[in-house]
Amino acid sequence: MDEKVTREIFPRDSRKSYGLVELMKKSAPIVRKEPEDTVNVWPNLLMIEMICAILVTVGLMVLIQFEHAPLRSLADPSTTPNPMRAPWYFLGLQELLVYFDPWYAGVVLPGMIIFGLMLFPYLDVNPKGVGYYTYSERKFAVFNYSFGFAIWWITIIIGTYLRGLDWQWYWPWSNHLEHMNPALVTLIPLHLIFVNWFHVSEGVGKIFTDIIFIGYFALGTLIPMVVWKPMYKAMGLWRYLTFMFFFLSMMGVGLKIILRLLFNIKYVLVTPWINI
Amino acid sequence: MLQKLKNGIVDSQIFKSIFRHGYPDNDLDRAYAIFSNVFLHIHPVKVRRSALRMRYTFCLGGITLLLFIILSVTGIWLMFYYTPYTGLAYRNIKDLQFVIFGGNLMRDLHRFAAHGMVLFVWLHMTRVFLTGAYKAPREFNWIVGVVLLVNTLVLSWTGYLLPWDQLAYWAVTVGAKMASYTPFLGQNGPWGPQLGFLPTNDIMFMLLGGTVVGQNALIRFYVLHCVVLPLVVTVFLAVHFWRIRKDGFSGPL
Amino acid sequence: MTNPAAGVGHPEETESGLSPSEKGRRKFLVAAGWSLVGATTAGSAYATYKFLFPPILYEPPTVFKIGHVSTYGLGIDERWKLKGRFWVVRNMRGIYNMISICRHLGCTPNWFPDQKRFRCPCHGSIYDAHGNVRGGPAPRTLWRGQITRDPLDGELIVNTVIRLDPDPVQTPQGLWVKENVKEINPFYIGHAAPPGASCASNRLLC
Repeated sequence: MDEKVTREIFPRDSRKSYGLVELMKKSAPIVRKEPEDTVNVWPNLLMIEMICAILVTVGLMVLIQFEHAPLRSLADPSTTPNPMRAPWYFLGLQELLVYFDPWYAGVVLPGMIIFGLMLFPYLDVNPKGVGYYTYSERKFAVFNYSFGFAIWWITIIIGTYLRGLDWQWYWPWSNHLEHMNPALVTLIPLHLIFVNWFHVSEGVGKIFTDIIFIGYFALGTLIPMVVWKPMYKAMGLWRYLTFMFFFLSMMGVGLKIILRLLFNIKYVLVTPWINI
Repeated sequence: MLQKLKNGIVDSQIFKSIFRHGYPDNDLDRAYAIFSNVFLHIHPVKVRRSALRMRYTFCLGGITLLLFIILSVTGIWLMFYYTPYTGLAYRNIKDLQFVIFGGNLMRDLHRFAAHGMVLFVWLHMTRVFLTGAYKAPREFNWIVGVVLLVNTLVLSWTGYLLPWDQLAYWAVTVGAKMASYTPFLGQNGPWGPQLGFLPTNDIMFMLLGGTVVGQNALIRFYVLHCVVLPLVVTVFLAVHFWRIRKDGFSGPL
Repeated sequence: MTNPAAGVGHPEETESGLSPSEKGRRKFLVAAGWSLVGATTAGSAYATYKFLFPPILYEPPTVFKIGHVSTYGLGIDERWKLKGRFWVVRNMRGIYNMISICRHLGCTPNWFPDQKRFRCPCHGSIYDAHGNVRGGPAPRTLWRGQITRDPLDGELIVNTVIRLDPDPVQTPQGLWVKENVKEINPFYIGHAAPPGASCASNRLLC
């Protein structure tokens, strides 16, 4: 039955507590929809779940025949194992800590990832693509998720295979048992590069970086507003601003990693309180 | 003879008081089997035939639940031999590994089920995302799911400290130090020192119960890992499953 | 009743049949009840917060008696790293100590005499022999602990909780704090160089 009709005949009233029971053809428990091809959960679905559980358990039992839970030597505050690798699911975090200060990579960024994930259903206004796998109907949403996912897994792979002694970058073909000399080029904050290039004072260099940082967020928010008007219209102002903040922050993480790896930039923004 | 014995059992008052239906080999008893059982009534009595298709959910959520159950059971076994004391914890793990019958099996299962749970939570989340199953009216259940993901990671992290080996000590030292960088709440964080936070009163101190990873930290992580977080996960799992049924399914389910 | 489908409810259970004074009384009771819930929650939250901060600690010692200056040679001495988590450093002008805790996330860096660098195995922070940051993510320079002389026997006493932490300057070479800012009382004890030592042998220590 149509939901609107239901509401008219049986309006919601705080003084009443009745439900609408419907008569359906066949033995289907699903109302408000045409009778469909349904099957009993016992045994059809339960059997599948049982098989799945057995397969996973057997897989686990087989796995532990080859690999055992690690146990290193007794905890010792005076010596850190070299290199100290976190468990794989935290390696992404550990790798991000190389590129950002701990207040950002360790606290604010994970907080933003969690909060951003929670907000996703409220920011995604696309009504299409519910209940089936599709890329073409929700390209942007899938792109966003994949981008975040990719950063996470790429950093895990870097941490697992490309980091060695003293947490230095080791290629798969370099000798992982030999301590490398530290890079000759040290990390340099962006404003000092401007000081070198344009021969301005440090204060002016910092103003340049402030402009670049704020400009990145301002232009990143304004340009899509003009270019992809339908998207902005569909989302509304606040939803759009929230989304753009998270989107540009995520892209910024990727950008900063690239700037660090290619140009040895330590910070892109330097303020008396925080450095990013 | 056997038939008589079986009938005697099945017709007895005790049996009938436990199972209020016959063997589920017909539609009515199959329906009873599901909705008269507190564990099975997580399922509806009937589902659409297309919901049986493996390639929609890949059973990822179910596998995560299974791994959580395995973790609970093996974890309880491990607790029989574990003392959360810095002088004993490491030796207890060694005993489990080399002396106690089945100790190594429980430890290995616990470790790899934990790895698996993290992996399958991620995969389940990706699946839910790709099928758009978080969209209205299921937004809140996605939030519950994210809370469960975070809880899974925190469970892994707290469990990491318990063997009191080098891996444990340094993973938790680094993680706790990260907490001290929390803006406004940590001694090292932006605006932390300005608000008067010191090594003895900031959020890292609260987490560790001290200024370094020591006995207080071990007992705190033990309680969190073995009691608090599993309870939290169980409660959120209940909400998660309840909301799946109440919010309705999408697509082929 | 404007709504024909609303049916017969129980009038005494709704607000509509109440006199204004009864309404006011109910409103007040509801507000009072919820305020009590709020106050109880706030009180419990504060009690929980207080409960989680132990006022007494049983932690490893932080004060060490490390012997006379003459027992230390020029350069970085690692003999106290295992027991006290600090390095003793003697240069041409005197003696001080550096806490072997990485300023990034608290791991213990290793000293590489050939590279003349401290390097942290956790996230790759690099410090030079003076504790200045020369690479990696460390946001500040290594701490120096308090060092004093025992007035009775003249032995050195290191306190690793009282720490020197001046604000560093960002330079193209890394984060720097000038040596004369760090070589101050009570984090430094002046002492004549050992006989035969010269600046030529180790420029770092001059």
